[in-house]
Amino acid sequence: MRTLITRRYRNLIGALAALAVVSTLAACGDEGDSSTDATNTSTAGIAVSDVWARNSPMMATAGAAYMVIETSTDDALVGVAVDVSVAGKAEIHETVMSEMPAGSDMTMNSGMPMGTDMSTSGEMTMRPVDRLEIAAGTRVELMPGGYHVMLLDLAAPLELGSNFDIVLTFEKAGDVTVTAEVREEAP
Amino acid sequence: MGVVSLAACGGGSPGALKGIVRDDPLDVGSVAVTDVTDTGLYSGEDEQFSFRARPGHLLVVYFGYTNCPDLCPTTLAELRAARRELGSDAERVDLAMVTVDPERDTPEVLNGYLSSFTDRFNALRPVSEPELVAVEDAFLASSTIVKNADGTIEVGHSANAYVVDEQGLVVVEWPFGHGKDGMANDLEFLFDDMN
Repeated sequence: MRTLITRRYRNLIGALAALAVVSTLAACGDEGDSSTDATNTSTAGIAVSDVWARNSPMMATAGAAYMVIETSTDDALVGVAVDVSVAGKAEIHETVMSEMPAGSDMTMNSGMPMGTDMSTSGEMTMRPVDRLEIAAGTRVELMPGGYHVMLLDLAAPLELGSNFDIVLTFEKAGDVTVTAEVREEAP
Repeated sequence: MGVVSLAACGGGSPGALKGIVRDDPLDVGSVAVTDVTDTGLYSGEDEQFSFRARPGHLLVVYFGYTNCPDLCPTTLAELRAARRELGSDAERVDLAMVTVDPERDTPEVLNGYLSSFTDRFNALRPVSEPELVAVEDAFLASSTIVKNADGTIEVGHSANAYVVDEQGLVVVEWPFGHGKDGMANDLEFLFDDMN
């Protein structure tokens, strides 16, 4: 059971702005294919590169880590973990456009693809992801505004230039440990 | 009804705004919100903040919360990086963040958080639901807080950043992912226009 405190505002302009966001992202794409791998782990057909986390602002209790994952066989990322000296909990999350039609109370995080519904309020939120499929020969990017490893209850601020390990659990490949570099921006 | 037009992205002619420009700009100059900034750079505690840039400055407004792991620090870090690209004009870029989670974002938390991104900020913390909604409405923004039974709190919020001029008009909006170069481009263009 959830208690919902809602501050809604919805109108056509907001929806148009939300769609504009989507079309901008689609039109511009990302410039990220020239990555040089600072950290690159390759285990059991899994290759993980560009593992990083943003340095913590003061007072922040949560953080996020990002990376690029490629597999040579169909697999799925099903879990993430970090040492308690880093954060109390780690989860796979996805940042999505929320769609909350007026008067509804439980439709948040239902995972409708961005921009498919004109009633979207233009709000963005996060939802936990139990299973992140990665098809053979493809790559999945965990990046700001999309999939990320959410770090909850940080034990200490993530300091610029430091490193910490993340254990990624794959359905087939099992556990793969990668090292995240704490940076101001993506490598 | 305003129409949203998008400047072509990537490789547009130099000097053009790359963010979202409304044909009928939002006028946010008449709305006020509680200011809890404690840096001394701006006004004292618990005063009312109006959304108008200081003379010769531009005001970047963002709605967010400090427990936000992904969107908020990404956008605020992009703004920090964009200011570095601006040289001396960086001192003409002010940030005002309205917390959509005032219950957890105490004045101390909000001030500390923002000081990590800039020394030119206003920490804005609505004291009531109607106060927050009034500010959000002026920007056509919104937010939602869901308290789950397990104690976790989910926050949804508009992720745009808004650039406001001296008159209190939103001159350009940046959708999430606009990036430091896009921000620097737009700020430079607007400063050139003001000079």
